[in-house]
Amino acid sequence: MSIRHGLLALLSRGPRYGYQLRAEFEACTGATWPLNIGQVYTTLSRAERDGLVEPGETDEQGRVVYRITEAGRAEVGRWFGTPVAPSDRPRDELVIKLAMAVAAHPDALSVIQAQRTATMRTMQELTRAKRQADGDLAHRLVLDSMIFHAEAELRWLDHCEKGLS
Amino acid sequence: MTLLTLESVSRTYGEVKALDGVDLTVAAGELVAVMGPSGSGKSTLLNLAGGLDRPSSGTVAVAGEDLARVRDLAALRRRSVGYVFQELNLIHSLTAVENVMLPRELDGVAARQARQEALAVLDEVGLREQAEAFPDELSGGQRQRVAIARALVGERRLVLADEPTGALDTATGDEILTLLRARADAGAAVLLVTHEPRYAAWADRVIFLRDGRIVDASLLESAR
Repeated sequence: MSIRHGLLALLSRGPRYGYQLRAEFEACTGATWPLNIGQVYTTLSRAERDGLVEPGETDEQGRVVYRITEAGRAEVGRWFGTPVAPSDRPRDELVIKLAMAVAAHPDALSVIQAQRTATMRTMQELTRAKRQADGDLAHRLVLDSMIFHAEAELRWLDHCEKGLS
Repeated sequence: MTLLTLESVSRTYGEVKALDGVDLTVAAGELVAVMGPSGSGKSTLLNLAGGLDRPSSGTVAVAGEDLARVRDLAALRRRSVGYVFQELNLIHSLTAVENVMLPRELDGVAARQARQEALAVLDEVGLREQAEAFPDELSGGQRQRVAIARALVGERRLVLADEPTGALDTATGDEILTLLRARADAGAAVLLVTHEPRYAAWADRVIFLRDGRIVDASLLESAR
């Protein structure tokens, strides 16, 4: 997940302080990926080094406002224009665990069942969060994405179970 | 308050054990989903819960009444139980409101009152404007909402839904679950059979059936 690109996208709407970027990022993603303020400033200083953002005035509390540069805008455009490739995602521990269970566990079915219950519970929690997240479209779509992922996992677990029986 | 109780319920059809010693309770205010592969006993469970079928052994009680001892089962069903099926069974020569008031009229409620009740529940499912439309004039999602209104009319406190989202798209399916969820939150007991995890996830409790037995249950933390 690219914090850098997320922050650049927010800055493309106008100059912002670090604390504002953090709040807006979490509002969009429904605090699904909480950021600490340190991460925000580290990311901003690297982006500044790379010429993607530049600092503006400092307010009376010593906070610096950041604005995006032309190079930064181009980078955001490139990011939005590039589809995410499967190889960008980390290895899936569950897939590896189930492959090992089928190969080496005396009761792979019980591993599948335990996972299914856990994934269903996750999905129940996500669905409840979605019910409570009326209004904010970005937040709801993030939750929808996680629900679709959990759903795919459950379908795959059913598929694994059929293969075993 | 427990509205549905199944105690060691089994159902066999010839040699086939469709349900095998199932214990289940559904309380007022609770939405419970039943999942499982086809042939796992989901629909049998729902039919037994609604008194549409009788167990081979064990007891089924609705609102505290043992169904085996109820003299007029049809009346109890009309009074206490609402059904939503995948096959909507709407009557095509009747308007939406006439379809919804039908069970109340069968129960001896005067037409005028039945109509008022039907309009109120159509309002609840967002179809007040379409009350005079015929089923063929409605979209699939709207027809399903009429079927749900018919299941809810007359304050029936146990709602049984068998694959109520059928072939609806996910947004329309979510609307259907919103209605069932709201009904549970308002104090009904809802038992939902579905093979779709995303709809089961609206439940407080999800029960997994395999070969007629409950193999696991997932309870939402601090559910209600």
